[in-house]
Amino acid sequence: MMTEFPGTSIVRGRVEGEALVADATLSFWGEVEPVSGRVIAVGHPLEGQSIAGRILIIRSTKGSSATPMVLRLCSLQGTAPLALVNQEIDSLAALGCIVNRIPLMVVKDPAIFHTIRSGDWVVVDSDQAKVTLKRTGAR
Amino acid sequence: MELTAEQLSVLEGARGEFLRRCMRWLVDWGEAMGARRMVPLDNAHVLLPVPNQLMRGARPEAVQQYVEELREFCRHSVAPQCYATVHTAFVTLDELDVPQNDPEQVRLQRELADLASAAGFIPTFTCAPYLVGNVPLKGEICAWTESSAVVYANSILGARTTRHGNESALAAALVGWVPEFGVLLDEHRRGTLLVHVTTELKHSTDWGALGYFAGKIAGLGIPVFTGVRRPNQDEAKQLCAALATSGGVSMCHLVGITPEAPTLEAAFGGQAPRQPHVVFGAEQLRQTYQALRNHTGDEIDSVILGCPHASIREVGEIAFKLQGKRIASHVRLWVNVARATKANADFMGYTQIIERAGGRLLCDTCPTNIRIPARRIVTHGFKQAHYARGMTGAEVIVASTDNCIRAAIAGRWCGDEYDD
Repeated sequence: MMTEFPGTSIVRGRVEGEALVADATLSFWGEVEPVSGRVIAVGHPLEGQSIAGRILIIRSTKGSSATPMVLRLCSLQGTAPLALVNQEIDSLAALGCIVNRIPLMVVKDPAIFHTIRSGDWVVVDSDQAKVTLKRTGAR
Repeated sequence: MELTAEQLSVLEGARGEFLRRCMRWLVDWGEAMGARRMVPLDNAHVLLPVPNQLMRGARPEAVQQYVEELREFCRHSVAPQCYATVHTAFVTLDELDVPQNDPEQVRLQRELADLASAAGFIPTFTCAPYLVGNVPLKGEICAWTESSAVVYANSILGARTTRHGNESALAAALVGWVPEFGVLLDEHRRGTLLVHVTTELKHSTDWGALGYFAGKIAGLGIPVFTGVRRPNQDEAKQLCAALATSGGVSMCHLVGITPEAPTLEAAFGGQAPRQPHVVFGAEQLRQTYQALRNHTGDEIDSVILGCPHASIREVGEIAFKLQGKRIASHVRLWVNVARATKANADFMGYTQIIERAGGRLLCDTCPTNIRIPARRIVTHGFKQAHYARGMTGAEVIVASTDNCIRAAIAGRWCGDEYDD
């Protein structure tokens, strides 16, 4: 099965890996622990899960302006996401991904949140501006 | 993006390798966000914290490299036309009897403060620079970190700043330009969501509730509020902080108060709102308080006031309420302030009153950054309550300043109208 989502490239690059998906917003400062990459926001759909090495698919970043700082710390610690896919672009996500060379794409289609699930294997090709679901994980 | 010859030369390394890299970030960022040019920067509020508790247990090399990157920014000078202040640190430079305020990190933060000062940054160490002298005028082009201050600058002062992170604000302050996108442009300052307020907002925490409610719906959009009276500075501070906590709001319009929103039509720039309008009434107010509270008992150990940093008026009000009173011995009451505000409070005798009651003024930082060791926190800030839940693991109760102080004296949560 191959499902493709066209989008807009914000930071270029091509990576593939395991998706971490939530139809929700996230502030990296205050809601992500950079040492482990774990989401600590109480009641957040991703609470307790790690963004490290994952393809993080969320609505957008929000909240703290220290989001790029935490992305930098994650990057230095080795806990940064592999790529970020957002429905809407917050200037803080763009900055953090530019500085840390993390591929970033905008995919507007909300179907991405139920087509791609956490654990699925995904290709983010920000050079060709598309996100592809390669195979589904255990559901 | 079209660059001037001077901007291009910086991008090609005319002012050295580090400023070339700074310019590269700004140009890439601008292009990603749809900017067409770089404009001169008037004002910056930058982030220069040692990571402290945020990186507790991290690889030492990761922390060292991060601090070295901050030092590198401070080895260059702030652009001559730019007024640049510094955001909250993750430690206090004062003595503090909790192990989380690591002395080695305090030493590094002092070193960075000295370097920053020599570079032309004023080490205000506050999340509310507009309370301690950095008050940009209408139309000033700013590069501000601190999400709450961004909303305040755009919405209350009529200055213009997008949501900045540490690299962009520092880079812009050094090169003296910032990419022009988002709320720097008139067409991106129009409202996207109408929020009609039908309930009375009695105190600053109620304004925080309104912000927390609207930010979640607005997301990255621009809420427009009708039906509200003019807030005072402290109430506006709570509104702005909460909008950028539940949401990623850069600005809002308070019709009749926001400098560029004399009327509802002006707030929306003559266009229809993108989102359907919402009502904020007594029921929404009650639900917003209740949704954030997660306490399972009434025994409390911490009361946190001053999120965002308290104004001198707030410190005075807190001192007045604590005059001759005694905070319960097992309760830690911290009032977070900028160092400049504390100097004023010392002079006025407010600090002494609060200390005599058993509280303290906490400078330079904030309890969530220190990771205050707490099990149950009462606070008047929706932002503090939101982040403290995850960052400290404590249970939280968000309440009016009066009820926070009542809890501090009683040593337990005494209840309010929003309790079940």
